Amino acid sequence: MPEVKQVEGKNVEVNSQPKSSAIRNEEKEIVVKIKRFSPDKGEWWQEYKLKVDRFTQMTEVLRRIKTEQDPSLSYRAACHMAVCGSCGMKINGAPRLACKTLAIELTKEYNSNEITLEPMDLYPRVKDLVVDLDDFYERMYKVKPRLYPSEEILEGKAEHRLVPEDQRELWKFAQCIWCGLCVSSCPSVRNDAEFLGPAAHAKGYRFLADPRDTITEERMKILVDSSWRCTYCYQCFNVCPRDIEPVTTIKKTRAWSSKMKDKTKVIETGEKHINAIADTIRKSGKLLEAEVYLRTYGLVQAMSDMLYMLKSGRMKYTLIKEVPVKDLNDIEKVMKGDEQ
Amino acid sequence: MKVAYYPGCATHGLSKDVDIATKKVAEVLGLELVEVEDWNCCGGGFLDEKDEDAHVALNLRNLSNVEKMGLDKMVTPCSVCLGSHRLATYKYNENKDLRKRVDKRISGTSIKYENKATAEHLVWVLVRDVGLENIKKHVKRSLNGLKVGAYYGCQMLRPEQIMGFELSFKPHSLQDLISVTGATPVMFPMATACCGFPLMGSNPKGGLKLAFNVLNSAKSSGADIMIHPCSLCHLQLDTLQDKVKNEFNVGWTLPAIYITQLLGLSFGLSPEDLGLGNYAKGVLKQKGVIQ
Ligand code: SF4
Ligand code: SF4
Ligand code: FES
Repeated sequence: MPEVKQVEGKNVEVNSQPKSSAIRNEEKEIVVKIKRFSPDKGEWWQEYKLKVDRFTQMTEVLRRIKTEQDPSLSYRAACHMAVCGSCGMKINGAPRLACKTLAIELTKEYNSNEITLEPMDLYPRVKDLVVDLDDFYERMYKVKPRLYPSEEILEGKAEHRLVPEDQRELWKFAQCIWCGLCVSSCPSVRNDAEFLGPAAHAKGYRFLADPRDTITEERMKILVDSSWRCTYCYQCFNVCPRDIEPVTTIKKTRAWSSKMKDKTKVIETGEKHINAIADTIRKSGKLLEAEVYLRTYGLVQAMSDMLYMLKSGRMKYTLIKEVPVKDLNDIEKVMKGDEQ
Repeated sequence: MKVAYYPGCATHGLSKDVDIATKKVAEVLGLELVEVEDWNCCGGGFLDEKDEDAHVALNLRNLSNVEKMGLDKMVTPCSVCLGSHRLATYKYNENKDLRKRVDKRISGTSIKYENKATAEHLVWVLVRDVGLENIKKHVKRSLNGLKVGAYYGCQMLRPEQIMGFELSFKPHSLQDLISVTGATPVMFPMATACCGFPLMGSNPKGGLKLAFNVLNSAKSSGADIMIHPCSLCHLQLDTLQDKVKNEFNVGWTLPAIYITQLLGLSFGLSPEDLGLGNYAKGVLKQKGVIQ
């Protein structure tokens, strides 16, 4: 079945089988603009031209440039099938795997035969498209990316069992190939040294929620405060070539806050905020902004922020009384799981 | 053209001016917005972390009400409400375990979602259904000379596979709408970065830094004012102008207005008609757009 994607509101088939020999034999000349870099020469853009067909992956484009046109070009690629995670880069400004990207598809997507290649953001550059991923690996190791089984298991006295529902919950989040694309595009990582970043959260949650793991307390200490430092921008969800949805694991990790004994300020404020949101929805079916604000920040902060409301001319809106949902019975029923 | 209208809590609350301007502009354009009957909060992008099933169920309730109204398109001016509804239906369709739990949760309620109604952003409906040419016909006062930053933010674009209207790393809908008014669109490096609003509930310092990054980027690229597509970006980027100014020790402000407020100005509507905020009025007066 061809995959169907929505572009500008219309359904468009992607990766569909060739319908005619014209499509099968399609060839195009492309111009590849590469952001080059070397420690001694600094940064410059360089252009290459070559012919591609409908099977040419961007890693193949790079291989041909290197072998046929310019041996000085550096890039990384190993598996050419989206499993090793080494060919992450920015292609036409978007973080992608070069091997998972077909040149001709790109020219169609962007309606241009020109393709730009740049190294991933955030990481220090080594040469051309090759970046230093040490910082990324450190984040991954911080969350102890392995299972810590019980003594019984280690001694061979018991078996590890996982019910299918639990396996389904963990499977998706275990598919990370450590490509670093999500971290390179995450705004919170740049902003906040205490945030572990999307990939480490996906990996961390995959073990936190694994019923066979034995270091849950320690994992909560590592993960929960950090989880409240994500800004929910959905960039990691957007760029992950393995559809891992790191932000979903961050949301799920936040739910573990209530199990923690020693809460940091960030956790406490975050919890107050989300509890206030849930309570006002339960009460009226709507989010009551003023109440959520007061409960999250307290009266003193709320008073000082009133000044900003006044200045912006928005004070009058604080008095609006939104009508509650008429059918509160519905709301009560769907929210009841929250209290269990 | 008639579509269901989901304002959402912020659009009916502290961002009321978004609602005011949107209704006025829709009226001029002949776009009939029928408010979703007895709508409820979508969870604001947060409820799912506390109770994913309730979040999905609440969003299905709104869409099921749209279906009961005999409509299949629910338009919202708020990117977070959009993201919330689209993620909810995506999960409900994709995740069998979740679907089972949600079905259990909604049994005995009025919710009967048949997968017919979908949530769309107001910008999509304006660009695709109303059409740029049609919008242009209503422009009475060209905003020529005004440089307007096109700020997209997060959830109107991402995740691309669920939003799907335009390329998230190369969007153009807002630039197109700005051009229609005669103003000059300004793209800037942080145009698709997060405004920091979601961080304000747990790490306000970090959230404000993100707001500064966006405003600073637009300002450095030469924008006089910025437009955005979201009722929550509105609170962060417009209401907190002075907070950002004080915290980051800068000597400027860069008002952020909602897309329909800019369109409305070019349609000849007054600042009062459009509920324009104080910061915007200041800059627009300076630029001679309003008196
Ligand atoms: S959603 Fe969170 S983790 Fe993902 S990119 Fe945005 S800030 Fe980073
Ligand atoms: S979560 Fe996805 S984008 Fe991030 S490192 Fe893993 S595979 Fe790459
Ligand atoms: S070459 Fe291995 S993921 Fe691209």
